[in-house]
Amino acid sequence: MKTATTSAATKTKTDTRITDALNQVLADSYALMALTHLAHWNIEGPDFFELHKAFQKQYEELFEAVDEIAERVRALDAFAIGGLNKLARTAGMEEFTSPMPQKDYIAALVVAHEKVLDDATQTRHLAGESDDLQTQDLMVRRLLFHQKTLWMLKSALKQ
Amino acid sequence: MNVTAPICSLTTCGGTPAVCRTGCALEVIDELLRAHGTVRGDEVDGLLDLRWFLNHRADAEAALALFCTLRRAMEGRHYLAFFRLRRWLENHISVTARLCPGLPARTVSLALNNFCLEAIRSRCVLAARRPGEPLFGARVTFAFAPLAPVIREVTTSLALA
Repeated sequence: MKTATTSAATKTKTDTRITDALNQVLADSYALMALTHLAHWNIEGPDFFELHKAFQKQYEELFEAVDEIAERVRALDAFAIGGLNKLARTAGMEEFTSPMPQKDYIAALVVAHEKVLDDATQTRHLAGESDDLQTQDLMVRRLLFHQKTLWMLKSALKQ
Repeated sequence: MNVTAPICSLTTCGGTPAVCRTGCALEVIDELLRAHGTVRGDEVDGLLDLRWFLNHRADAEAALALFCTLRRAMEGRHYLAFFRLRRWLENHISVTARLCPGLPARTVSLALNNFCLEAIRSRCVLAARRPGEPLFGARVTFAFAPLAPVIREVTTSLALA
């Protein structure tokens, strides 16, 4: 009996550009989650309670996101990257040196979110080119989160 | 002392000076120059001077002094832009400190946590000093870190643009 192979199935096995890009977003998101968690712990100052809670909400969202991204990599028949060293090296984000002024935590998180935003945008383009709508949808949802968080963080930096 | 350069503040940038696009800081300054209504005339002059220093990688000490003046005046209105510039300068300017005329110079990390050049200089001296070492006639030198050849090409094309 002949096994039918759909074009979508073939694509998932051959296009490593998308899984590589997804792994980059995975590493970025993991690194950003760790940075946000650190900011949640170490931030000090007059807006402590507000920022402490906001950062908790953000790292919890990122924790769910990394799982979803990693599972998408697996669904595309590739392996998700992991291990703190490898994730940090792949993400290449600057790590905080606490203590820092309150606004520096926010500015550093803005820079980190922008990095994820750039890589997720690239991944969305690649998925679009390959007609991989599921990955594209996932990246669109990631972009919405990072854009919204950037708006909030940048607003918090204004006088 | 750990002198590992932090990654550049802009996400469009590759990272350390060896791979960092020198245009990063220039883009931040250009964005500030376009921010109508929140930058005064004298600040525009200062930003243009700073842009020249960074573009030509000339006179790191004067660039830092000007940066501090602009930071004191503008950071409240443009915190993120000055955060990015701080990170860029920390990444691109190397510091050597000599505690006494007879002692060898030491390389230290630049940390722009202060708002004037003298405070930054003092901080560099303290960072270079080991317990019990004499401190007399200390001298701190700021210089732009050398760029990799590929970056020089980018700098040239930016200068021509």
